[in-house]
Amino acid sequence: MASPQDFAGYTPTWCSGCGNWSIGRAIMMSLAEQGLEPSSLNMVFDIGCSGNMNDFVNAYAMHSLHGRSIANAIGIKLARHDMHALVIGGDGALLGEGGNHFLHACRGNHDITVILHDNSVYGLTTGQVAPTAQKGYTSKSTPGGIIERPVSGLQLALTQGASFIAQAFAGNLPQLAKLIAAGMTHTGFSLINVLQPCVTFNKVNTYSYYLQKSYQLPAEHNPHNYEHALAKVQEPFHQEKFPLGILYQAQDQQAYHQQLAQLEQPLVTRRRTSDYAPLLEYFQ
Amino acid sequence: MQHSETFLWKIGAPAGFGVMTTGVGMSKLTARHGYHLFDYTEYPSLIQGGHNTYEVHISADPIKANKKSIDCLICLNEDTWHLHRHRLEHDSLLVFDPQEFDPKTSEVKNVPIPFQQLLNDLKAPKIALNMVSLGASLALLGGDISYLDEMIDDQFRKKSEEIVAINQAAAGAGYTYAQEHFGELCRPVLDRSQVADRLDEAGKAHDPLTVLAGNDAFSLGAIAADARFYAAYPMSPSSSVIAIMAAWAEKQGLVARHAEDEIGVINEALGAAHVGARASVGTSGGGFALMVESLSYAGVAEIPIVVFLAQRPGPATGMPTWTEQGDLLFAAHGGHGEFPKIILAPGDIEEMLALTPKAFNLADIYQTPVVILSDKLLSESHHSVPASAVHAELSKHAVDRGKTISEKPYPDKKYMRYADSPEDGISPRLLPGAVDAFYQANSYEHLADSHTTEDAADRVQQVDKRSRKMTTYLETDFASPEVFGSLEEAQIALVSWGGNKGAIWRAQALLAEDGIKTAFIHFTHVYPLNAGSLKPFFAQDLPYLLIENNSTGQFGQLLRQQTGIDLPEKLLKYDGRPIFPEEIEKTVLKLLSTESQL
Repeated sequence: MASPQDFAGYTPTWCSGCGNWSIGRAIMMSLAEQGLEPSSLNMVFDIGCSGNMNDFVNAYAMHSLHGRSIANAIGIKLARHDMHALVIGGDGALLGEGGNHFLHACRGNHDITVILHDNSVYGLTTGQVAPTAQKGYTSKSTPGGIIERPVSGLQLALTQGASFIAQAFAGNLPQLAKLIAAGMTHTGFSLINVLQPCVTFNKVNTYSYYLQKSYQLPAEHNPHNYEHALAKVQEPFHQEKFPLGILYQAQDQQAYHQQLAQLEQPLVTRRRTSDYAPLLEYFQ
Repeated sequence: MQHSETFLWKIGAPAGFGVMTTGVGMSKLTARHGYHLFDYTEYPSLIQGGHNTYEVHISADPIKANKKSIDCLICLNEDTWHLHRHRLEHDSLLVFDPQEFDPKTSEVKNVPIPFQQLLNDLKAPKIALNMVSLGASLALLGGDISYLDEMIDDQFRKKSEEIVAINQAAAGAGYTYAQEHFGELCRPVLDRSQVADRLDEAGKAHDPLTVLAGNDAFSLGAIAADARFYAAYPMSPSSSVIAIMAAWAEKQGLVARHAEDEIGVINEALGAAHVGARASVGTSGGGFALMVESLSYAGVAEIPIVVFLAQRPGPATGMPTWTEQGDLLFAAHGGHGEFPKIILAPGDIEEMLALTPKAFNLADIYQTPVVILSDKLLSESHHSVPASAVHAELSKHAVDRGKTISEKPYPDKKYMRYADSPEDGISPRLLPGAVDAFYQANSYEHLADSHTTEDAADRVQQVDKRSRKMTTYLETDFASPEVFGSLEEAQIALVSWGGNKGAIWRAQALLAEDGIKTAFIHFTHVYPLNAGSLKPFFAQDLPYLLIENNSTGQFGQLLRQQTGIDLPEKLLKYDGRPIFPEEIEKTVLKLLSTESQL
């Protein structure tokens, strides 16, 4: 059985104190705890500081174009639904450049797990504002403060049909690892929104900011209650409070590939059956 | 019908009348009579209103182009007459409803048929007008109504017997009226006795003719190639492919995805291809524009993908339902950075059937994008191909996945996805899921083991490795153009590519009747081009005429860029319409008479 260390590739190049260190560690711990091997799962890394994990985590992977990781993962899952498909990407990639793919992946309830690194900035391009930044956030590209209101990945996912949404804090590694495993074992679209301080460029949403503003969902929170989850995902905007844990998990919702009768066997590994002969009558 | 004679039937009506259904019906009827056909439809990018037409070119011998003169024009409205009268000859049949309009002409043979009255007598719905016009057409062309009755039965049996009965009654009414009133005008171009050797006693063809459009042929080719994943966002004129693939998906065991946009389309296909499914996408120029960044990703990460690009006139939204060959240079140069890419351009249905499976093989062998260039003319026009020939073409195809492997090649060594390959540039591609290995399809420049790199020497090694694949392709799989006619004997050489093939073939026949010998150099492997093997084709001392359906002679530019061969004489057409054989004939006659005066 693989250990977390078996998933460790190159030494990461993240800034000292970056939330990615603990997220990367949590992913490797979680993969090992689930009994996976680097050769038994598919990962897709988007572009950005988080996506640079491509060289630090060992797995069959795609290092996608910016914003396109979710689309790659959908294709992977439809062709190899017997393997996990895990997406690593930032708020800019998944909600900015690739927002359309995100929205439609939720609608389709594709069985992929998305770890969304939510740090409100574009770290790799030196700190411009991200779509999740709070209104008024100043950055190199928004010196007068951002005019747009923040987009919420959790709210978007929940309202567009995602069947599992959770929020984690990069400062709480054990919980993050558990939530990743919960998302991956869930069948259907799962989103783990990770609150991640960017120690170099974001001086607002720091470790201490999130330590003060986040809280654990109480034991009585029922993740199967959609309305309750909908109220919870609005708290960051109305009360500047960040609930941690599984916000919502649908029961008995089929994933996309489960609704295709032809995918009883994985598309790639099934035997060749394609036969054009009966199709010719169609053209006579 | 004399074997060299051909007959053009055309129908026109406002959009929404069902002209498409009627036209395809006429094509299938022609094939069921044992006759060959080529059809062509013109329609605006609308669902209701506007003007729709459909023409079927009928011939005893195989035919692959339309022609200018119309022999029978069915006018379901007055516009049809005004828009197409310039293409009628003195013995053309002009079919119209006298209650609708009176052409007031003696230039042609008038065939007034009271369509609406016949429908009223039967209490049939307006939509059955199609059947009246098909019935009347069969009578005028010497066809057999039983084929139409049978076709109606095939088409509507699942709906209800009542629908079958009313459509057959409408067809019969049109047939009987035309036969009784205009029997003397009948042009027996569908006469079964002329092709009796092709039919059995019951009138069934020994070797039925299939009626295939380019999009159908691509779909069949993809199935024969064992392609398992097709994604698209609807865009004319490629849209019928996703409809066909989706209809076949469950039975054929493939996934047909209508994704959110063309960027999603190609990236889903790349995901499926990365883990080992043969994958393709279909689109037209605008959608292709959205895909090119991802094409570049496929190039650097060495992911096989087939892109079916059915061209229409651009720029931008352009003329969505018309035809042009305006995206060749864009396809050749589409994608940032330098990476290998192969472009194939079939010229007709048989070449689409042959080159589609080849494209999937080439994508796997060279682990890079392969584009199949079609255009509206090829994608949506049908022509007749014997079922036996379709079988033969598709079954001779063998799936060749090149250096694709499903097990790690060296048990004790690390698997190197992008291992240098000094011989051919191609590295063994291990499919994800194989035990004891892992790698990434990296969009960054990478080391042989697939990790990201910015090292100068590694960069050069990988660039050279990838570009070596194209050298290998040119030596191994590039096909020189086919020459129809003899370059040694010809007075002129016609040079073209893709879907102009049928029109040029036909023009060669017309020019032969004018006493002019021609040779036609027909390219299907349009990018990259092999300078060494092409030079001899252009070494003759005779005029070379470049024929393209665009305004800038894009293939001419590509040929000059890649081989240094320059073709100054050009016939370029870019009004959204296909090139007519007669236009080629006229241009050649003019060019040769100018040459002889010099």
